Amino acid sequence: MLLPRQTRLVLFLLSNLFFIPITFSLVEEQEQFTEELLLKPLPDRKVLSHFHFQSRAPPTASYGHHHRLFPKAIYQLVHKYRIREMELSFTQGRWNYERWGGFDPISSNNAKPPGVELWAVFDVPEHQVDAYWKNLTHTLSGLFCASINFLESSTTYAAPEWGFQPFTGSLRYGTLPREAVCTENLTPWLKLLPCRDKAGLSALLDRPSIYKGFYHSQQLHLISAEFKSGELDSGIILEQTLTVVLQPGAKRTGLAYFQPSWSMSSIFGRQITGKCVLAKSSNVFLQIDRDAVSELKDMWKEMSVNSDKMSKSLWSNPYFELSRAPDRIKEASSINSDSASILYEFFIQKCSKSESFDLGLTWKSSFVWSCPKAPLHATRFLMGSGNERGSIAISLRTTELNRRLMDADISEETCKLRVDIFQMVPWYVKVYYHTLLVFVDEKPQALTDVIERMHVSPSEDKVSPGLMELALKLPCGLNSAALTVEFSKGFLHIDEYPPDANQGFDIPSAVISFPRFNTRLHFPKDDSERSPVLSYTEVLLVPLTTPDFSMPYNVITITCTVFALYFGSLLNVLRRRVGEEERILKEKAANKKTGWISILLSKLFAKLRGRPSESPKSPASSSSLVSLKLLLKVVLVASVAVGWQIEFLELCGFERIDGEKFLDLPIEKVDMAALVSAGSEL
Amino acid sequence: MESTATISESPDTFSSFDPNTMRTTKPGLKRLILTFSILISFFLGLPFLLKSVEIYRAPLPFHEMDSIESTHLSFPCKFQVMLLGLDYATETSSKLGFSIQESMKKLTGTSSVCGSCSENYTVSITIDSSETLDDSVKNDHVFDELLKGKLEGSGNVYSVVVVSSDEEIRAVVGRFRHAWIIGRVSEVDLAGMIAEILVKIFVNGGKDDGAIHGEFMPVGADGRVVLSFSLLNANPEHWIYDWDFKNVDEMFLTPLVKALYPIANVSVESQVLYHTPKSYFSYWDDKLESYIFNTKDLPFFVNSNEWHLDTSISAGGRSKILHFVVYVPSADECPLLLQLPNGETSGTNGFISPVIHFALFLIQACYMCIIVLKMPNDFPFRSWYSADVGRCYYMESSKLFERFRKSFQTYNFPSALCLHILKQDLKNIFEVFMGQFRQLFGLKSDSIFMGLSGSYKLLTSESGFADWELDLLSRQHTCFNLGSCATTLGSLSRLVQSLPRMIIMDEIGKEVKFSLEAAKLAHENASLGIYEASAGVSSSFTQAFGLSSRQARVLAEDAFYHPSIMSVSYYSFEHCFAVYSPFFLPVAVHVLLAAVRELRRYKRERAKYLAWKAKANVAAQVQQS
Repeated sequence: MLLPRQTRLVLFLLSNLFFIPITFSLVEEQEQFTEELLLKPLPDRKVLSHFHFQSRAPPTASYGHHHRLFPKAIYQLVHKYRIREMELSFTQGRWNYERWGGFDPISSNNAKPPGVELWAVFDVPEHQVDAYWKNLTHTLSGLFCASINFLESSTTYAAPEWGFQPFTGSLRYGTLPREAVCTENLTPWLKLLPCRDKAGLSALLDRPSIYKGFYHSQQLHLISAEFKSGELDSGIILEQTLTVVLQPGAKRTGLAYFQPSWSMSSIFGRQITGKCVLAKSSNVFLQIDRDAVSELKDMWKEMSVNSDKMSKSLWSNPYFELSRAPDRIKEASSINSDSASILYEFFIQKCSKSESFDLGLTWKSSFVWSCPKAPLHATRFLMGSGNERGSIAISLRTTELNRRLMDADISEETCKLRVDIFQMVPWYVKVYYHTLLVFVDEKPQALTDVIERMHVSPSEDKVSPGLMELALKLPCGLNSAALTVEFSKGFLHIDEYPPDANQGFDIPSAVISFPRFNTRLHFPKDDSERSPVLSYTEVLLVPLTTPDFSMPYNVITITCTVFALYFGSLLNVLRRRVGEEERILKEKAANKKTGWISILLSKLFAKLRGRPSESPKSPASSSSLVSLKLLLKVVLVASVAVGWQIEFLELCGFERIDGEKFLDLPIEKVDMAALVSAGSEL
Repeated sequence: MESTATISESPDTFSSFDPNTMRTTKPGLKRLILTFSILISFFLGLPFLLKSVEIYRAPLPFHEMDSIESTHLSFPCKFQVMLLGLDYATETSSKLGFSIQESMKKLTGTSSVCGSCSENYTVSITIDSSETLDDSVKNDHVFDELLKGKLEGSGNVYSVVVVSSDEEIRAVVGRFRHAWIIGRVSEVDLAGMIAEILVKIFVNGGKDDGAIHGEFMPVGADGRVVLSFSLLNANPEHWIYDWDFKNVDEMFLTPLVKALYPIANVSVESQVLYHTPKSYFSYWDDKLESYIFNTKDLPFFVNSNEWHLDTSISAGGRSKILHFVVYVPSADECPLLLQLPNGETSGTNGFISPVIHFALFLIQACYMCIIVLKMPNDFPFRSWYSADVGRCYYMESSKLFERFRKSFQTYNFPSALCLHILKQDLKNIFEVFMGQFRQLFGLKSDSIFMGLSGSYKLLTSESGFADWELDLLSRQHTCFNLGSCATTLGSLSRLVQSLPRMIIMDEIGKEVKFSLEAAKLAHENASLGIYEASAGVSSSFTQAFGLSSRQARVLAEDAFYHPSIMSVSYYSFEHCFAVYSPFFLPVAVHVLLAAVRELRRYKRERAKYLAWKAKANVAAQVQQS
């Protein structure tokens, strides 16, 4: 299961790439706030901007519970709910793993499923975790103006064992894929920053321009060591990040296939007027991707520029130019290839009020590159049709990275690629876990060959969602792999349908992680913390059978009417005197002149009873009188109908011309739409 | 067919027999019994149906809930006068006691305010002629402690000690439950003074109206108060003020929290906010050389858009949050003074705003309190600093500030000035806070009480509240708590009785029961003066009824605001009707109609039969005769 040596080397380099040596003295007991902004041009003519704010509070034991920078609300939250770690994200749009990359720390940590995702680890005994989670959802719901309180219900959250994060027992995970994200969620998030959006990097956050973007993810990550006993107490670390993918405005400089040139003021509509005075450091980074750099260097080589000049012209060269000189340039040198990404660093401390900081990037030449991708690209889709059954398929396709990494050791038999899949399914999608099939390179595989570890907790109706955690070991040289699992759709109680039930129901994103591949944030962090490469699949929309919601009353009414009819007729039959009724009927027939309808009826009844009818002899004259009456009635009904019709036509816009018996419709009053709709109705 | 049979039987009566009005057989009862049994079973089944659709209602003690409102609360108080010195003879004591009681009655008047002492108080007088006093009399605080030790054994009795000496007449109210009068006072005056101390100060707390106003009660419905302190830096780019709140918490607030425990569960939290400009402009006054903010503009001072004086997560839904805000103006509006309506500037520079709960705003005048240890030698403002002790300098105008700022920049100091509010300033701030806090509780903060028969000096306690003040607060809050508990339970009982189809969970019943029990306990403890049992530990006696009354109120409020009262599944009668009517309405029509028809037919047929019978009898008689 070991990765080839070369792979590990590359990973090591990757992880070292963005490390900025800022030392944290452990003795130092001060609250700290740092702000950072990373800008990165994306291959598809967009710009990624990633805001990162970090607040640290020293441990309560030595510092007390009064803070001057750390937000009070978060401190109280951590203490009230005994949170060890928590992450809350609000996302709009979907991260495009193909184009925007899947192997860098931002895509692993900040690409989130649409809607709200919340997970938290509590430092309480296991039987209390659920209660704490429920209270936490309510508090967060109030704090962030979102309907996070819907995660309170035990059908919406799960307790992953190992597939999502390595905290057994005290971890809870829940998502709300349909939550809409907007400014009302951003404002409380900004309130947690000491300068809010009044000063510093957050002043760039112009609401219309950031919500106009293609992807918007706002996150809050909390790590607290307040309740750990015996370990080194590092206090509470609150990380707030905002990842936005924006399209720079059409400031065309020449050809259409050029990358668009942009500046901060053109993408945000604002400039940085100075750092937040409370921040310890306030930096802006600009990152050029590894592939882009190698592309550039190839071109440099062709132009035979010597290396000395090259380093000098890293920020101003024939291909692109930065609007101001960076304070520091970091370039990761690597042994096996000349590719490494470049990070330009700008310190905001230096700029003062008079001159605002506006970083711009101007492209002078066109070239294409691609972002580093995760070893496998994952998509998920639904199969089957109808309202009864279906199956979920997760398809993994290999990417260039994997191919490149694996090419060297393709012959080696032991090479395996480990993939963890975490999937939560709501209870009304009843998954048959025994139908799980795995295909590698389109050939079915025995589960025991491919699955290293598996944890399934089946859903319980109206109690808990289904949970599937899989650890796959796939051969390194694979082209594609697919998993399918069948399900049947359950029925919900009428109260359980959401207001827009016909839209369908969401299955939360599956989490695909590659635990052997690590990336690390380039923002200051200590060495031990490295996050695995992680990607989310699409949210699936399952249409369920939706009832007519007035049905219960209809059913009640119809059954009750049937019962009432039955009961009534039974009662009538019980108290009926057949002989007496017949006698009375006969007497009536003898006494009265009856119409032909009643004769007909009595004949019919008699036939039904199986007796010969004794029709009374009625004089012929009466029948002609009756038919005259009938004729009169028919005429009356017809005239009423005609009268109504004329009224109706008048309503439609026809006018009665005085003295004439015609209706006239002026040509300007003809309402074509009404006529067409009337025609279609007919 | 039957009629034809009878016709053949009695051919002699054939001529007078009319089949339309007569019949010869008795009408059958089968169908009548059948329809009526169905009808009756319907009526019998109705209670079962109603029982089956009934909603659950926990039994509530409505009578007790209503009757608790009318119960009266009275606190027994004990007073004691101690005469020290040789001048008083034994017989004067009874005489003095009598005259004290007389003047106390006069002062108390007829109106008895809830929370004051009951009518049946006792004043005991002891004469201690053996005691000799040294110079400790001169120092009030020392004498206070001395008296405390002396009177310790006597329990929770309010005492006035009279020390006869040749000094000037002086009356002092101590920090505990005693006062003393020094000097040579005539017996009549003495009785008046003692009565005034006992009634006006110990019982009524130096206020004219002893009643406590409900809406201004700073204790939340769950018996909790959150003191939230915020320091607002209007513009951190000019300067950033910081405070050592940890220290303040330990020094000022911890004793306060401890002292107020029987009245409320107080918790303290703090935050520092930045970029918080006020929302109204102030103007420059040349004469005062400062920016002036008028009291009439105060409603516009609070900038609720920018000041995130959040509600606290640690506070529950019904706790009361008291915000105390210290506002540091930016350099552009410095110094900022608050002008009273009479044209004078405010001494405290603070005010209470009822807009956001209770917020006290203090405007920090602009002092530069800087502790800078490393300083370049040619720094122009060097003379302003002493080596390591911070000193405060008043910034006369923002021009000077600009100069100061520039020099800071040239000497490469941080662009913003990080300032610490000095301990002395902080102490001043918290003294103002304490005064405002006492005001919220309805206590005055004057050091001298002017009475009818003289003026009395009031000693202040470190915790902010003297023991007798805490007693007073405790009495008043007990009274208020029980009153509000009674009104809550009363309105709950009325509400529940007015909505017969409301679901009432068992929890509500339980809470009501416990609330009533706690209220009863508080009543008993208060009227028995149970505190005597736990005497010895100062101020702990109030807990006996203070806590249980608080508990009673909390439980009553819990019951009233129980989430299930607002339950969604409130099962209305219309719903019931809509569900059952499609079946029962048609069936009922059938059953009733059948019953009515059968009854009518039976009557008609019986009449026919009777008519025939009468006729037959007549015929038989005719035959016989």
